[in-house]
Amino acid sequence: MKPIDLAKKLRRDAASDPAVLDRGRAKLMAQIQRESEVRSQPTIIPQLPYHDLRAALEFLERAFGFREIPTSRVEDERGVVGHAMMEFGANGVIGLGGHGGHSALSPKVDGVVSQYLSVYVPDVEAHYEHARAAGARIVMGLRDQFWGDRTYEALDLEGHRWRFHQKIREVPQEKWNWSSTDPDKP
Amino acid sequence: MSSPSDADVIGRSLAEPEAFAAIYDRHAETTLRFLGRRVGAEAAEGLHGELFRIAFERRKTFDGSRASALPWLYGIASNLLRKHRRSEGRRLRASARMAAVHELADRRAHASASAAALDAHALFPRVADAIDSLPEGEREALLLFAWEELSYQHVADALELPIGTVRSRLSRARARLRELLGERGKERVRSR
Repeated sequence: MKPIDLAKKLRRDAASDPAVLDRGRAKLMAQIQRESEVRSQPTIIPQLPYHDLRAALEFLERAFGFREIPTSRVEDERGVVGHAMMEFGANGVIGLGGHGGHSALSPKVDGVVSQYLSVYVPDVEAHYEHARAAGARIVMGLRDQFWGDRTYEALDLEGHRWRFHQKIREVPQEKWNWSSTDPDKP
Repeated sequence: MSSPSDADVIGRSLAEPEAFAAIYDRHAETTLRFLGRRVGAEAAEGLHGELFRIAFERRKTFDGSRASALPWLYGIASNLLRKHRRSEGRRLRASARMAAVHELADRRAHASASAAALDAHALFPRVADAIDSLPEGEREALLLFAWEELSYQHVADALELPIGTVRSRLSRARARLRELLGERGKERVRSR
């Protein structure tokens, strides 16, 4: 018998399960979906100043689940990170820069927060538990807001204030009730 | 209306990633079967997921002058299989046992000599060892050609080699198989 024909005799098909193909397709579609999401470029990107960008990148990933955009990091020859970007969810993007750059100051030393950042998450309670366990300082616990979101607020390691939201019910605007006792009211 | 070629689909998927799903729908059954043959159903599932993850990520690098994406997918799968040499070897040896059983049954049906049937038990494990001991490139070319029945040109596309190199690898693989089978055959006879 010829060698090729002998080799052919050892060809043996594995049991094929259509569910495997379906699972494979679902996985691929999830990957495609993720890429489509990343492709939608946000039109506004907050740039946040930090004293220690490496520590900030690590913390924001560990506590809040942000991901550094791998191609974005700017580093000098001594390994000091000058700027980096992180993404979160469908098209959330932030930039991280050095303290004092563009006249933007980290709250760590100067103690002034001039803005807070709102971030929508799929499961705000899970996010809260996770961030708290990771050492984020919770400055306002979970609460249901009059416009239908459940939120909490936390400080990151340099004191930037983050508010995490999840829409939990639809409340029409005419039913919004911003009472004078609302702790959010200035 | 004829359906768009794989090259058209992949080209379109650069701007509309969802289009890539059609590549899966066209070829996944074939590629999963390929991996199943090589490493068995269980290991094949994980590798197959990896195969399409990589294919989607690298779709920009697909050579649009090739109408079918299948050889390209085979090529990615072949690369993935490199890390699975051990399970391939195990599967080859198990396949050899099965092949011997089938051969035996066939020959019984045709009432041929029992001595020939006995040979099958010795022959197929030697074929398995011979295939397993081929150098990487020759084994891959041989199995794409013999098991997947790809043309020389498609084997060349899959392995990103000139067609002449595929021809010479296959002829070396044939020669080595002949040689290994022959030599071990003699050894076996001597050891009796």
